Amino acid sequence: MATLRLNGIRKCYPNGITALHGIDLDVGDGELMVVVGPSGCGKSTLLRTLAGLESITEGELTINDQRVNALEPAARDIAMVFQNYALYPHMSVFDNMSYALKNRGTPKDEIRRRVTETAQLLDLAELLDRRPRQLSGGQRQRVAMGRAIVREPQVFLFDEPLSNLDAKLRVQMRLEIRRLQKRLGVTSVYVTHDQVEAMTLADRLVVMNGGHVEQCGTPMALYERPATRFVASFLGSPAMNFLPVTAHRGGVVLPNGNPVALPVAIPEGRAATLGVRPEHLIEATSVADATEVLEVTVEMLEPLGADTLAYTRLPGLEEWLVVRLDGAHAAREGQRLSLAFSMAHCHVFDSQDARVPLADTEAQACQ
Amino acid sequence: MSAPFQRHRITPWILMAPQLGIVLVFFFWPALQAIEQAFYVEDAFGLSREFAGLVNFKAVLSDPTYYQAAGTTLIFSLAVAVGAMSIALLLAVMADRVIRGARVYRTLLVWPYAVAPAVAGVLWLFLFDPTLGLISGLLGNMGIEWDHKLNGAQALALVIMASIWKQMSYNFVFFLAALQSVPNSLLEAAAIDRAGPWRRFWTITFPLLSPTAFFLLVMNSVYAFFETFGTIDTVTSGGPGGATTTLVYKVYQDGFVGQDMGASAAQSVLLMALVGGLTWFQFRYVEKKVQY
Amino acid sequence: MHYRRPGLDRLSHALLAVCCLLFLLPVWLAFTASTHTLGALYSQTAPLWFGEAGWDNYRHLLSGSIGGLGTDVLTLLINSTIMALGIAIGKIAISVLAAYAIVFFDFPFRRLCFWLIFITLMLPVEVRILPTFEVVADLGLLDSYAGLILPLIASATATFLLRQFYLTIPPELVEAARIDGAGPWRFLRDILLPLSKTNLAALFVIMFLYGWNQYLWPLLITNDADYLTIVVSLKRLLTSADGLVPWQNVTATAVLAMLPPIAVILLMQRYFVKGLVDSEK
Repeated sequence: MATLRLNGIRKCYPNGITALHGIDLDVGDGELMVVVGPSGCGKSTLLRTLAGLESITEGELTINDQRVNALEPAARDIAMVFQNYALYPHMSVFDNMSYALKNRGTPKDEIRRRVTETAQLLDLAELLDRRPRQLSGGQRQRVAMGRAIVREPQVFLFDEPLSNLDAKLRVQMRLEIRRLQKRLGVTSVYVTHDQVEAMTLADRLVVMNGGHVEQCGTPMALYERPATRFVASFLGSPAMNFLPVTAHRGGVVLPNGNPVALPVAIPEGRAATLGVRPEHLIEATSVADATEVLEVTVEMLEPLGADTLAYTRLPGLEEWLVVRLDGAHAAREGQRLSLAFSMAHCHVFDSQDARVPLADTEAQACQ
Repeated sequence: MSAPFQRHRITPWILMAPQLGIVLVFFFWPALQAIEQAFYVEDAFGLSREFAGLVNFKAVLSDPTYYQAAGTTLIFSLAVAVGAMSIALLLAVMADRVIRGARVYRTLLVWPYAVAPAVAGVLWLFLFDPTLGLISGLLGNMGIEWDHKLNGAQALALVIMASIWKQMSYNFVFFLAALQSVPNSLLEAAAIDRAGPWRRFWTITFPLLSPTAFFLLVMNSVYAFFETFGTIDTVTSGGPGGATTTLVYKVYQDGFVGQDMGASAAQSVLLMALVGGLTWFQFRYVEKKVQY
Repeated sequence: MHYRRPGLDRLSHALLAVCCLLFLLPVWLAFTASTHTLGALYSQTAPLWFGEAGWDNYRHLLSGSIGGLGTDVLTLLINSTIMALGIAIGKIAISVLAAYAIVFFDFPFRRLCFWLIFITLMLPVEVRILPTFEVVADLGLLDSYAGLILPLIASATATFLLRQFYLTIPPELVEAARIDGAGPWRFLRDILLPLSKTNLAALFVIMFLYGWNQYLWPLLITNDADYLTIVVSLKRLLTSADGLVPWQNVTATAVLAMLPPIAVILLMQRYFVKGLVDSEK
C-alpha cells in the first residue's frame, strides 16, 4: 500500500547534460503508471532515480509521504524488473528469487514459503532448481517478475521488461503482468517505448519527451485529446496525419487550397497544424454528416486483414495521407477517393505544437 | 560508464591499497631510483657519489660492447620470433586441418610452455654437450665440430634453438585458436569459388590471422628480450666473448658482476625508454585494430 | 571443409606426429640420462634408454645435501612451490580487489590509480633489477620468501585481465544486487567471485607457471641455500664441479623442476588456453 510522489525532480549529469527537467508526478495506491516516450526521452533515467540507482540533483521523491532521496535502493522497499532480466547466472531460480530475502535476514522457512508461493503464482514451481541459462526467454522473464514479487515491496518498477521477447510472447506476458498487478495491488511504474504496450497496460499514462512530461492522463484521454503534437504523433498506429494549414476567416486553409470552417482561435494568416487520425478519414459516400471533403489518389495499399491501410496523395501535401479502410474495401492503386472527416475528430496545434481548443467540440466533451 | 557504487568513500581505497602499496614500493620507487642513479657516478667502494649529468649515458653509448649487445639482441629476437612463429603456424594449420585430434596435438605440443627458460637451456645444453651430447655427436660424425664454449655463432644458435623450443607452444595455442575461429562459411564460399586448400589459406585464412600474428610478434620480442635471461645464463653466461650477451644480460653483468652501478642504471633507463616506446606503439596499433 | 584430401590429411598427421616426438626428445633424453650413473653416462653418447641408477639418483637428490648446492632438492622443490603459490595467490588476491575498485567504484583519482597500475605492464622486473634489489635489501627482505614474492607481484597483468572481464558484466547485474540489498563486499563475495571462477582458474595457471619459472630475481636475492629455488639451482649444479659436469644430477633436477608446472598445465589445460587467449583481447 503505497503512494509515490515526485516533486520537481531534476537530474543533471556531471558532464552538464540535463536528463530530467523538473518532473512532477503522483502515482496513486495500487495504480499502474506507464511512462512512455522515444529512446533518450529520460524515461529510463526517471525510473532509475525512483529506484535509487541514480542520485536526484534537485526536487523531492517521497514514498508514502516519506522523503527517500538519500536512501539506498535496498532501503526504499522497491523491486525492479530489468529489460535484460539481470538474473544472477550462477544461481538457481530459487536462489535468484530468495537472494534479497536472505540479505534481509528473513528466516529460512519463511523464505521457502514465500518463494514456493510465488513460484506457484507464476507457474515456476518445476523450474526452481534450474539455472537461468537453462530457461527460455519467457521463463526468465517470469523469474525476474518472481524475484520482484517475492519481496512484497511497496512499489514495482518495470524497465521495458517485455522488449526482449518475441511478438507473441509479448502479448501473452502483457496480459499476465496486468493480471498480476491488479491481483497483488502493488503500486507500479512501468517504462516502455512501445505505445501499444503503454495504452493496453496503463491505468494512467505519462508521455515524456526531451526530459519533460508532455502529458499525463488515462490512455483514452491522451488518445482523444493529445495536449501536444508530440503526444498526438506518438500514440496511435499508424500515426496521426498532420496537414500544414493557415488560419483564414474563422477556419483554416488546407494545403490543397480548400477552406475548412473550424471554430479555432488563431489569428488570421498564422500557420498551424491540423491532425486527423487514419481511422477518422472516411469515404465521403458512406457518411452523411461529414463536414469536409478531401480528394486524394491512392498510391499504395497495405492489406492487414481486418483493415487496409491506404497511402494516398493529397495535392499540396508532401507526406502521404494515411487512411484506414475496411479490409473488404475494393480499393486499387491509382484510384481516386473522396475522404471526409468530422470536426469532432480534428486536432489543431499552433505553431508551438500545443493544442488549440475547438470551441464547439471541446465544450461538448466537457459536459 | 558511471560506476555502480558511488556513495562509498573508503571502500575503494581499502580495495586499492594492497596493489597500490606494492606497486609504489616495488615498482615506482626502484624505477625512480634507477633514473636518479643514471645521472650519478659512484666510486669503486660505493662510499661517495656525485652528480654527473649525462656522463653515464655517454659512456654507455660510446661503448662498442653496448652496440654489440644491441646487435645480438636484434638477431636473437628476430630469430626467436620468426622461428617460433613459423613452426607454430605450420603445425597449427595442420592440426586445424585434421579436425579429429586437434585437441590431442594441442596437449602434446602445449607443455613446453610450462618448462622454465633455464630448464629449457639445460635440456638443450645436454643435447649439444661436446662430450656426450646426442646432436653434437651426430654433427661430429658429419664432420661439424661443435663447441659452443668457443664458437660464438654456435653458442648463439644453441640459445636461439632452446628459446624457440619453449616459445613455440605459446604461439601454437594462439594460432590454433585463431584458425578455429575463422568462420567456416568463408572457407565454404571460397571452396564454391573453386579455390583449392593452398589458395584458400593464403587468400582467406592468412589475412584473418594477421592481428594474431602481430600480437605474437610483440609478445615474442618481449619474451626474447626478457624471459630468455635464464636460458642465456645457464647455457652460455653471455659468452663466449659476449656473443650471447643481450641488452638485459648486460644490465645484469655490468651491475651485479661488474658493480658499475651508474652504467647499469643508465642502461636500465635506456631499456625502459625502448620498451616504453614499443608498448606505446603497440597500444597505438591495438587502438587502430579495434577501429576496423 | 568441403574438399577432403586424404593424402594431405595423412601427411599432416605424419608431420604432426614427428614434430611432437621431436619436441619431446630433449625431455626424453634428460629423463633417460637421469637414470644412469655418472660413469655410465660418460662411457658413451647420451643414452636413449633407461639405466639402472634411477632410484638411487633421485633418492640421493631428494634426501641428502648435494655438493655445490648446500641443500637437498626437496627443499628446493618446497621453496619453488611456496614462491609459485605465493605469487599466484598474492597476485590474484590484490588484482581481484584493485580491478573491482577500478571498474565498480567512483572515487577521486580513479584514473590516476588506473594509470599508476597499468604503467607497470610496460616494464618487467628484468629492466629495473638493480634498484629493486636495493629496495628489497633496504627493507631487509633478502633471503626471505617475502623478498622472493612481493616484487614479482608488482605488475598489472592479472589486474588488466580481470578488469577486462569485469567490464563485460552487465551493469544491471550490479543494480539488481543493490536493489536486493547487497553492499559492495556482499556483491563481491556472492556474485562477482563466483562469476569469475574460470577466469581465476586461468589466471592461477598462468601465474603459477610465471612464478615457478622465475630465474633472475631469485638468483639475485637468495644467497642462503635455504631459500634457493629449483630452477636457479641448475646453474650451480652445472658449474659446481671442477671436472666433469655431473649430468645425472643435473638432468634429474631438471626433470624434477619440470614436473610440477607440466602437471599443472596439462591438468588445467582448458583454463590455461582460455587465460592465454583472453590476454590478446
